[in-house]
Amino acid sequence: MDDLTGKVLVQNVSKRFGETTALNGCSLTISPGEVHAIVGENGSGKSTLAKMISGVVLPDSGRVSIFGRSPRDPMEARALGVAMIFQEVLVAETLSVVDNIFAGTDSLWKRSRTRAVARRQCRDLLKRFTETEIDPDTIVRNLPLSVQQWIVIARALLANPRVLILDESSAALDLDASARLHTEIKRLRESGCCIIIVTHRIAELVRIADRATVLRDGEVVDEFVGADINESRLLSAMSAKRIILEAKAAAASPANRVVGDVVLSATGLEIERGAPQFDFKLCAGEIVGVTGLDGQGHGDFLRIAAGLRAPSGGTVSVLGRDARDAFQVASGASGKSVAYVSGDRAREGIFPNLSIFENFSLPLYRSRFGEYGWIKRRPLKQAFDGEVRRLSIKVGHESNLITSLSGGNQQKVLIGRALAMEPKIIVLDDPARGVDIATKQELYAQLRKFADQGGAVLYLSSEIEEFFDFADRVLVFRNKSLFRTVPFELFSEHTLLAAMFGEPDETAFHPMREGFVRA
Amino acid sequence: MAAPLILAALAVTPIVLAGRGGVDLSVGPLLGFINVTLVKWLVENDYASPIMVIAYVVAAGVLYQIVIAAIIIYVRVAPIIVTLSGYLFLSGINLVVLDRPSGVAPDWMLDWGSGISILSPVFYGLIIMIGFWIFFSRTVFYQQIVLTGANERMAFANGVNIAGARFGAHIVAGVFTAAAALAYTALIGSGDPTQGNTYTLSAITALVLGGTSLAGGTGGGLGSILGAINIYLITYVLSTYNFGTVSGFVTQLSTGAILVLSLLVNSLMNRRQ
Amino acid sequence: MSKPDDSKGNVPGRTLLSQNVVFGIALLLALSAAASFLVPGFVSYTNIRSMLLLAAFLGIASLGQTQCALLGGIDMSIPYVIGSSNILLASLLNWGVPSFPACLIVLAGGVVVGILNGLLSFRLQGQALIVTFGLGLAIVGGSQIVTSIGSVYAGTVLGAVPSWLRGMSSVAGTTFGLPIPPIAIVWIALAIVVVTVMSKTPFGRSFYAVGGNRQAASRVLISEFRIWVIAYAISGAMSAITGMALLGFSGGGFVGVGEPYLFTTVAAVVIGGTSLLGGWGGYGSTIVGTLVLTILTSLLVGLGLSYAMQQAVFGLLIVPIVALYTRSPSLRDQI
Repeated sequence: MDDLTGKVLVQNVSKRFGETTALNGCSLTISPGEVHAIVGENGSGKSTLAKMISGVVLPDSGRVSIFGRSPRDPMEARALGVAMIFQEVLVAETLSVVDNIFAGTDSLWKRSRTRAVARRQCRDLLKRFTETEIDPDTIVRNLPLSVQQWIVIARALLANPRVLILDESSAALDLDASARLHTEIKRLRESGCCIIIVTHRIAELVRIADRATVLRDGEVVDEFVGADINESRLLSAMSAKRIILEAKAAAASPANRVVGDVVLSATGLEIERGAPQFDFKLCAGEIVGVTGLDGQGHGDFLRIAAGLRAPSGGTVSVLGRDARDAFQVASGASGKSVAYVSGDRAREGIFPNLSIFENFSLPLYRSRFGEYGWIKRRPLKQAFDGEVRRLSIKVGHESNLITSLSGGNQQKVLIGRALAMEPKIIVLDDPARGVDIATKQELYAQLRKFADQGGAVLYLSSEIEEFFDFADRVLVFRNKSLFRTVPFELFSEHTLLAAMFGEPDETAFHPMREGFVRA
Repeated sequence: MAAPLILAALAVTPIVLAGRGGVDLSVGPLLGFINVTLVKWLVENDYASPIMVIAYVVAAGVLYQIVIAAIIIYVRVAPIIVTLSGYLFLSGINLVVLDRPSGVAPDWMLDWGSGISILSPVFYGLIIMIGFWIFFSRTVFYQQIVLTGANERMAFANGVNIAGARFGAHIVAGVFTAAAALAYTALIGSGDPTQGNTYTLSAITALVLGGTSLAGGTGGGLGSILGAINIYLITYVLSTYNFGTVSGFVTQLSTGAILVLSLLVNSLMNRRQ
Repeated sequence: MSKPDDSKGNVPGRTLLSQNVVFGIALLLALSAAASFLVPGFVSYTNIRSMLLLAAFLGIASLGQTQCALLGGIDMSIPYVIGSSNILLASLLNWGVPSFPACLIVLAGGVVVGILNGLLSFRLQGQALIVTFGLGLAIVGGSQIVTSIGSVYAGTVLGAVPSWLRGMSSVAGTTFGLPIPPIAIVWIALAIVVVTVMSKTPFGRSFYAVGGNRQAASRVLISEFRIWVIAYAISGAMSAITGMALLGFSGGGFVGVGEPYLFTTVAAVVIGGTSLLGGWGGYGSTIVGTLVLTILTSLLVGLGLSYAMQQAVFGLLIVPIVALYTRSPSLRDQI
């Protein structure tokens, strides 16, 4: 048996958050001097695993052992030499650069170094990383995001870690900066550090990883070593299942659909200042998928289309109106324009304190049944019963709290609510998050019906296989702009994943055919 | 004369700095509690030696704050609710201990407040406490409190001892409240069960006026001191005008107005940056 | 996948609310039983009438607090507005303003203060408590200055209180021959209106929507700002009414009449089971909370506890009750 006290061991860990299982019996071993990559699709449990090693999340069962010890919180993990760079750029915006970089180095009573030394180290480090002079006393809020990202990285490297965890740490860095980060990682590897990388950039990890563990739905499905790590293997391991679904998709492919007038069009759209502009059109009868890796701008695009936020440049018009007005109209009167359904039910969907019936009817109080006066219960009840039947929502008693329903049924209530508003366009933001397959299938069928009756659907999902069942085309976003449009004839795990990861296009399709122009 | 207010403002400062929207609403009643119990329990029973008194007031302030901190950290009730109940509880208890202004301060303290010269013992005490604050604000410990307040999630994730920092902030607050109570007792020379309560609002006003954000993590003790002096001066200037019977109300009006206005200015400035 | 989630499956509707109300009513009965056993004269005719009267004052004052709490706000200006309207009304009457316009002026003043509270605390999110506290203090200072013009007694306003106002809030007051003080009837009427509006109109339900999930509420186009300001305006109006009613009760203007309502309104709301974080509870619960507090006070008084001691007891009650309903999430779950 190896000497396990010199390694990082994850032994059969499981973790649930409410209804969803994040990790289910995962095990892996990370040896010193090894760069160990953890890959998987969105929601496969990678980040949870990384947080578990750094002590932020505690496993429900199983054990994490770092050189023979199990840290119970980040403070203990830090004492064992663990440093983690989180996906979110965790900085205290109101404090100075030096305070941020040295956060956690001092104990409550003892300073690890004098302020003067800290300032000098801070200046040197940032100069090495960013190749610019940064005053250690600058308030972090006033620095660009890329520098903030370096602050977070510098904080981790400064601790001379024995275990370094990087969770999507290069997301905010450009290519040149990533190369510098890789140099640092290699240097640490030489010195015998255990390095764990969670990343979406497959090309990147192929270059630097010694070992790669593939996660799917919270389970370890495959592990590659050294030269075995290549892009196609990783991609296929990440998405190996779903043969059944693909077969089904072929049967239900949306061929020869009649497409109506343009209902939503965007010109010169700029999601974020400086991001490439693009145009986009949505027609009645169409279902358009929207996807991309975390933070690539697809979510922002959806919100802009729904009129929830303004783009930094360009215009969006819905049925000839500005998108933001159109959203107002949607709830002011029925049958006019846009309804929005969020997959983030807890944050912007349900009212956890209200009943199923009220969650359904709240926006309808004002639209169809008069804003003032009494709530007209009878027509609402009819609409409710109608949608319950149509979407086959499993409700207990309608006056039960919405939280008594499973996630899938909560989502159906929200979709029913959107349909009952009789919009022309439904914008759905990852509505199938945490919803089982049967429910998804029903949802697709209903949206298809809605489109066939002249509605238009924008459907965001990060699980690409969702689109196979019913989308007419899929917009893939990258770097805060539209990267590629994939028509349904070309749908496959491979083409979509390749687009998401920014692979060059092999299928040589013609953008013009899809009715959009890349700026 | 401004000593109790300055010290009370300094007492609220570390708790606000430590974040989570924690504002110690009970600072006034706690000050009052120490004042009345000092007069009633210690002096009336002849335990009035300086060491005894100082040991008692510090212990009372610190113990109370430790209980409050423990509830905030482990029961996870919003700090403002906890200190609100503390306010209610203590202001009730104060009246139970002493139902009306009465009693005398310890003998050795009596001449403190009566002196006309600025260089009274209260003043020296204040200087010592401000010195202590300056020392405290340079410790690494103070920095951990600020880190916790500026972004508690960041601090936690990077291994800052946030529970320790929060406990520490409350303990320091307890010490300063104790000092404020001593200064207050010296100034009025007796016990008063209700006047202490007014220090809650003026201390918070001083803090906000001094530029400390109620959201935590930014600001500092120096601002609170200046804020407290400002409020004292405003009150003083107002009292030189002859408002006659209404002078107390003018003070109330100005304290309230200054608080709301400085909150507004603070939030506007934060937004602009 | 066809059944509601097992862990929470098939719970009856509005579980928390109904549990709280059941708990509250049980507490009410227990307290009444204890009081009638321990305190001689508790069940006497006069005592019940005076308790009803006190409950009416507290109940009206807590109405606005409930609306604010439903949104996750809090109104600490209530005692000050009560005190201010109390002395303002007395002064207005002294200055010869007819009673009806005088009452309207005071009521309008209360609404204006409430709106101001709402506007400022909406702008300064999360600091409602401090903002309303500060504003209340400024208001009470200002109104005392106004009322003490040409008077030697600042803070108290002596003068003739019209008999109808005395009758409104007198223990011996009757309404249409019924032996119930009219202010209690006003309270009951207000309660019926509020409970109905809150449960049966889109307007009322908006409060629950905003309190339950602000973001989701804005997605269905409920204006958080509008509801927020209205809640504070209601609170201002109710405080003004309480202040005026208390003038009838005491017969003379005194700015300190509001003092006890600083915390009893919060306590009534919390004991009734309305969460201070918003969304849960409502005025129905607060009525139970009001009655519990009134009977508890009567019991404590009967047992010989001073006002100060009662305050201490209420202070001790709040933390455990809040801890029971609403605790913040752990930091681990927020990263």
